[in-house]
Amino acid sequence: MKNRWRNKALGYCFILPAVIYMLVFIGYPIVYNWVISFQDATALTLRNTNRAFIGLENYRNIFADRTFIAAIAHTFIYTIGCLVIQFVLGFLFAIFFAKDFKLSKTIRGLVVISWMLPVTVTALVFKFMFSQDSGIINTILMNLHIIKEPVGWLLQGGTAMWVLIIANSWVGIPFNMLLLTTGINNISKDIYEAAEIDGATKTQQLFKITIPLLKPTIMSVLVLGFVLTFKVFDLVYVMTGGGPVDATEVLSTYSYKLSFQLFHFGEGSAAANVLFVCLFIVALIYLKTTTNEES
Amino acid sequence: MKKEVLSVTMSLLLAGGILAGCGSSSADTASTTAAASTEATEASTQAESSETNSDGKTTITFWHYMSEDKEGKYVKEAVDKFNASQDEIYVEQQYFPRDELMKQYTIGVVSGELPDVGMVDNPDHNSYASMGVFEDITDLYKNSDDQHFLEGSIGSCYYEGKLYGVPWGNNCLGLFYNKDLLDAAGVEVPTTWSELEDACAKLTTKGVYGLAISAIGNEEGTFQYMPWLLSAGGSVYDMGSDASKKSMSYLKELLDKGYISKECVNWTQADAEKQFASGQAAMMINGPWQFSGLADDAPDLKYGVAQVPKADEGDYASILGGENIGICTGANVDAAWKFVQWITGKEEGPDICKNIGRLSPRDDVDTTTIYADDPNWQVFAKIMPNAQSRGPSPVWPELSKAVYTAQQEVFTGQKDVDTAMNDAAKTIASLDK
Repeated sequence: MKNRWRNKALGYCFILPAVIYMLVFIGYPIVYNWVISFQDATALTLRNTNRAFIGLENYRNIFADRTFIAAIAHTFIYTIGCLVIQFVLGFLFAIFFAKDFKLSKTIRGLVVISWMLPVTVTALVFKFMFSQDSGIINTILMNLHIIKEPVGWLLQGGTAMWVLIIANSWVGIPFNMLLLTTGINNISKDIYEAAEIDGATKTQQLFKITIPLLKPTIMSVLVLGFVLTFKVFDLVYVMTGGGPVDATEVLSTYSYKLSFQLFHFGEGSAAANVLFVCLFIVALIYLKTTTNEES
Repeated sequence: MKKEVLSVTMSLLLAGGILAGCGSSSADTASTTAAASTEATEASTQAESSETNSDGKTTITFWHYMSEDKEGKYVKEAVDKFNASQDEIYVEQQYFPRDELMKQYTIGVVSGELPDVGMVDNPDHNSYASMGVFEDITDLYKNSDDQHFLEGSIGSCYYEGKLYGVPWGNNCLGLFYNKDLLDAAGVEVPTTWSELEDACAKLTTKGVYGLAISAIGNEEGTFQYMPWLLSAGGSVYDMGSDASKKSMSYLKELLDKGYISKECVNWTQADAEKQFASGQAAMMINGPWQFSGLADDAPDLKYGVAQVPKADEGDYASILGGENIGICTGANVDAAWKFVQWITGKEEGPDICKNIGRLSPRDDVDTTTIYADDPNWQVFAKIMPNAQSRGPSPVWPELSKAVYTAQQEVFTGQKDVDTAMNDAAKTIASLDK
């Protein structure tokens, strides 16, 4: 009995550093952020140690703010747009590169470069490519006579959002591809051989073997992809700054703007918490499904 | 049940890690270089230890946003000179990109990690003073024997009757024109809006825009719009007036006729400079801090500077820009004040200002003689005394947002001039000034 207790204590000692780290560097900022979001925190009150608690006032304000509602919508449009494109293309690439042909590993390695580039660099490159006056996209489309006049891709709300989605998918496709290829390679070749002997076509193999066996990988790819995409900041901040006229404002950039440009810290924190809650729900669903499968 | 609790905690931590990660990555991007954020931590540790170092000198820190490869070189030079000039104080200068610096001030108020001396853009000074970033130096200033600052410039350092800093350098906007392009098109330097429109019509060709401006969705956009607004007789406090609307309609017309690139809504003033330097714009609205950039980007470009053209029935107008220097809360005030007095003083101030592309904000400096050898500088020296300041107001950031938003709405065609300006007027009226 005593021995068991000692083993347990020892076990807790091992995870203690990690727990302390989590509490200090992750737990504290979250709690602090929630506290601020219920306080009257503006430029004038920032230094006060005991700021007045104003209940849900900050949340009421942001939900009454049209830009904020639009930011929520934009974040979801962006996330879903990116997820669909990068998952579908990433999956196709994964199947393609899982074939063992000459140079397949080399090319796969090269494709991953776009994922490894700093997002700021990607953002600047796409900003130049989609520029109205000197962008290569306009030049190509005009030479192909698809468009007559140069299009201001980043200057109109509708197209600006698409450019963001395309730029992010360019980064996301290799990420999806990498994870999915690993998953595909983990499926035993024997199964495919058996299927072939039974006369299964390639399409049948894909839908009856590959996809069902990949389900856990697909789940994690989608959840990770959702989380990474939903919290986008750098790409939007560099490419459009949330503009033109708030057309690409997402939760993270709007939260930043509220806090650090307009000095409504309480509302900025509230906006960040909305982002947090959305991600929390997704993470919860993810854990629920994975733990169910494991047990 | 136990499992549920476990999964909830795990999701909390997972989502939380993401949020925390998001926070730190945003810090990186805002600074645009990853290096800056590590420097930031270094700087803050230095700030804490602003004490006496081993050789008996008091070390103080100075934060600014003069970019390292341009004006920042001269800031470093000036600080080195100060350090060599006496043996009591050692100043550590630290560059941050502008947005990052502003964020560091805000964070510093809460965490207490502020530098001893900090630079701030003058329309923002009120906001940061109200936040408690800067020390009240009213008494220090009153008792000092150096009180020679232009009223309009030092005005931006006052918040609720107290002084929170002194002006360091001023700037204003003018019209830069490419001499070769104007000569080739046989165009005189425009002085009025009609002349400007005519000039643009002749100068705009395939691949070359007549004029480059910045209409980006931040303070720079507001700053650039101000000369037009003021010259037409408008005001930020009366955006719904006919005069204010006239200025917006005029710019929109230039845009619609293709004289100004529609991309200006995403351009900073530095981007406008790049267009002008590369010959893709025949003229631009910009300020004297671009001289060093133009010398680097296009050393052979022949250009001149003139006043921003005035409305046909209006007067010339320009807008006062510039930076103030303040002593930050919790700083070593004595040492910091000595440095502030030195860098803004009559002896060194004007030269430092000239190097960093600013005009001295002192009333005992005759800028026209300092710049007698440089006709372009002289133009700015002439514009300066009549340049109007923005604010000062602690809600300036919000007011400015209403102005640049209206401009962006009009330029991108989301709203017509009437609607956009009336909406802006409504927003501005609702702010408590």
